[in-house]
Amino acid sequence: MSIAGDLIRGHTDAVILARLLRGDSYGYEINRVISTLSSGRFELKEATLYTAFKRLEEQGLITSYWGDSGAGARRRYYAITPAGVEACFRLRAEWKETKEIMDKLLEEET
Amino acid sequence: MREQLIQYVNLLFAGNDGVEDIKQEILQNTLDRYDDLVSRGRTPEEAYRQAITGIGDVNEIINGKADFAEENRPPVYAPVPEFDSTAAAVSRLMRALAIFLYIVSPVPLFLFSRLGWFEVGLCCLLIIVGIATALLLLFKSPKAQEQHQEYIEYTDRPRNSGSQRELKKSVGKLISTVGLVLYFIISFATGAWFITWLIFPIIGAVKGVVNSCIDLREDY
Repeated sequence: MSIAGDLIRGHTDAVILARLLRGDSYGYEINRVISTLSSGRFELKEATLYTAFKRLEEQGLITSYWGDSGAGARRRYYAITPAGVEACFRLRAEWKETKEIMDKLLEEET
Repeated sequence: MREQLIQYVNLLFAGNDGVEDIKQEILQNTLDRYDDLVSRGRTPEEAYRQAITGIGDVNEIINGKADFAEENRPPVYAPVPEFDSTAAAVSRLMRALAIFLYIVSPVPLFLFSRLGWFEVGLCCLLIIVGIATALLLLFKSPKAQEQHQEYIEYTDRPRNSGSQRELKKSVGKLISTVGLVLYFIISFATGAWFITWLIFPIIGAVKGVVNSCIDLREDY
């Protein structure tokens, strides 16, 4: 888990962008989806998530706005920008290539 | 338990100004997690413990060093940092110009010597070398940017740079030694001690040219 976790953490930005591609979202919701999709095997720390948001926002790949959480508290929502969509597709293609190469490299001798 | 969670997060950010937004966001996410865990049947204590574990290390965010922290290090596929390609091109051009100047610097010396104005030629040479050196100093190869890129381009680069540095050092020593030997040979042979010191600025110039050549090669 720790090795897989490190590997996935290296792709935090891509994961977040891919989540936001499906619609605006906020920190915990994204984390919950990540947890659900990985069957509870992977989750990001709040600090890591927040840092990634900030980095992506600085790069102009996402924007944020304050919204209502329903319970009266304010909640910060994130939305993907056109540049973010583009980056997301690029990162996805890069990952596919990486995966393909790794599969080849780790393949058993035939 | 919810109240304690709010207190906990407040304490995490205590004593730091200008982090209200960060605190709000992390607090809200943490409360969301807590509520979610409780609604899925965890005991409040368990939910509290898990929500706190999920926060991670906020000091990294507060100190603004988050990007370089071990866990939050920028992903390897991060887009190559915005780096001004025009500025880089100008800088490369200037370094190439400096090398050109070093190479042509003796020309006025030869020409003016022909006319019998040796000193004028010498002054021209020194001025040209001075300009070229100034150019090299002003347009140093952008090491800082490279360092960042090195990370992205995996580990080949730093090792490479290390060997470049080694190369520069040993070539520099070689040039100095050869220059010193030449200085003595020429000086004793000609007896022209008053002018042979010129070999030293020339050694400096040659070193500059060689270093720039190595740098230029490294840039590509």
